[in-house]
Amino acid sequence: MAAVVEVEGLSKTFRIPHERRTTVFETLAGAFRKNEYEVFSVLEAVTFTVGEGECVGIIGDNGSGKSTLLKVIANILRPSGGTVTVRGRMTPFLELGVGFQPDLTVRDNVAMYATIMGLSNGVIRERIDDVIEFAGLARFEDAKLKNLSSGMQVRLAFSTAIQTDPDVLLVDEVLAVGDMEFQQKCFEVFNRYRKEGVTTLFVSHDLNAVRRFCDKTLLLSHGRQVAFGETGEIIDRYVYGGEGRERPGEEARTGGAGSGGAAEVTLAPQPDSPTIEEEAAEPRRWGDGKVAITEVELLDKFGARGNRFSSFDPMTVRIRYLAKEKIADPIFGIALYDEEGRHLYGTNTQLKDHPIEEIKGAGCVDLEVARIPMLSGKFLLTVAAHTREGKPYDWLDKQYSFEVVPAGRDAGIVEVPCRWSRG
Amino acid sequence: MITPGHLKEIYGYRDLILRLAWSDFKLRYKNSVLGFFWSLLEPLLMLLVLYVVFSHLMRIQVEYYQLFLLLGIVMWNFLDRGTSMGMFGIVGKPGLVQKVYFPRDLLIISACTTALMMTVLEFLVFIGFMAIFKVAPAGPVLYFPLIFILQFVLVFGLALALSALNVYFRDVQFIWRVILQAGFFATPIIYPITIFPANLQSLVMINPMARIITMARDCILYETAPAIGDLAYVAAAAAVVLVAGYLIFDRLEPKFAEEI
Repeated sequence: MAAVVEVEGLSKTFRIPHERRTTVFETLAGAFRKNEYEVFSVLEAVTFTVGEGECVGIIGDNGSGKSTLLKVIANILRPSGGTVTVRGRMTPFLELGVGFQPDLTVRDNVAMYATIMGLSNGVIRERIDDVIEFAGLARFEDAKLKNLSSGMQVRLAFSTAIQTDPDVLLVDEVLAVGDMEFQQKCFEVFNRYRKEGVTTLFVSHDLNAVRRFCDKTLLLSHGRQVAFGETGEIIDRYVYGGEGRERPGEEARTGGAGSGGAAEVTLAPQPDSPTIEEEAAEPRRWGDGKVAITEVELLDKFGARGNRFSSFDPMTVRIRYLAKEKIADPIFGIALYDEEGRHLYGTNTQLKDHPIEEIKGAGCVDLEVARIPMLSGKFLLTVAAHTREGKPYDWLDKQYSFEVVPAGRDAGIVEVPCRWSRG
Repeated sequence: MITPGHLKEIYGYRDLILRLAWSDFKLRYKNSVLGFFWSLLEPLLMLLVLYVVFSHLMRIQVEYYQLFLLLGIVMWNFLDRGTSMGMFGIVGKPGLVQKVYFPRDLLIISACTTALMMTVLEFLVFIGFMAIFKVAPAGPVLYFPLIFILQFVLVFGLALALSALNVYFRDVQFIWRVILQAGFFATPIIYPITIFPANLQSLVMINPMARIITMARDCILYETAPAIGDLAYVAAAAAVVLVAGYLIFDRLEPKFAEEI
């Protein structure tokens, strides 16, 4: 397979002067002083190759250099080091409606934008009516663009943009705008491009879309290339690996993330170590402390700790405790809430018929979730140990949280196991 | 730079150049009742004022002074518009510079083309005036297209340099306006070059615009072919300005998208 896009050792730095000189006067006045500047490295040593007809996703947190990478490939920014080679006609979809003039008519704007996207006059004349028709704006073709709603403008830009037939397509979060119907249209168009064998680079935060469209994925973190390879694998590394992201406070509390799928967990029980969250909030922990919950770990399918999970994946809630004296018949339980605090689910060792006769000293109990049924969102977890009568030993109310990222295309909050058939 | 490869690439973008130029041309007159007539009216009003002042108060004696003046104004206006609009060719279109790729000098070519469109309209007025005053051009008028092409190259070279500098130093635009103001009076537009003594004439004629306007008048109004020396001087000046313009532009161009 011929390489269509080759990126070799690419780096990009921006120089940010402490004192910005934008006028001749300032430059003359400052000529004898040294103008100090910060060198800000946006991309470092990025190397990858995209073969003909491949679709490559680019993922990473905000500020990881995704968009800059796309702009360098599009030849809008020049690399500070390394080389970029693109073979074939390239169309960047970095923004819809580049060059739109609010004071010109719909028709003029379509012609203008189509020309910018590289269509010839002949093709434009031929297709312009279809484009306006497709955008559903036939009645408004002589209206000024500024009199159209923003939704109409996006539709117009999109139906114009998809007229291009590029060899290489660069897409930057274009799908993030627009309603469900519009997004569906976008997906259909990208599917069409894929079938036609257009090589595509696709920057997105929507892991689901990346999973669906991209054969390979590039993971960036702070401008460095973390991984490049098969999409499912890379997304797992992003979601579970702790690579390419900064861990929020939640992690600090549970003792820092294990990285890269390493299953090693070393923990000394730290009874009642106060955390930032516990200090700040109103009492969200109570109980007589005869049994202290020292640690709650959320383990992913690799056995590594984390707070992001793909839906439908397994997950284990490991509750570590310390019983100062011998306690008979304790009950451990959890309760699950959504972000608004609605109670979604609760269970405990008694309800699940898993009696614990007695405990003493440190130990742990695991709750194994075979398949996370939630589709996406942030969830809160309450963990508690109490007596048979419900008198709490230690109750940590909504003290733990985790995030579920979608792995499928179904809509809603939870998965309902089902299938279609024709009777 | 002006390599065959680059020229070929630019040629590939000819649709875009014309489309950009035409839409800028249309935008100029948006929301104005008289529309395109403004571009005709503007030089006429200027002509009226200058004509009254200089033919009656200053008593300048020139054959066909109205046409002499109008041609000078139209030619100077092309320099003024071409460089001013070209200067904003980059900073005035941040969306295009930051979101899509095409050779950036194309924006300057299109700005100069917009200026050219406006100048063509003004020339139509000028031709109308020639008919009114019953001045028919003779053979030497055939030199005019060449003279005008040289002026276009000169204007384009200046616009290239100015547009690139204006990205980094925004006061270039103010400085250039002052230079244009001074240039208007330092160039023989409202007066003939002959009002100066000979030694001063050669000084004024260093300015290629002075030679361009004088040659244009000679060949259109006074049936005089331009001197080869003058043509060569203007051609050389235009070439130097064009190359210098490209050198500055190419030097600064890689960081346009970051600095804009």
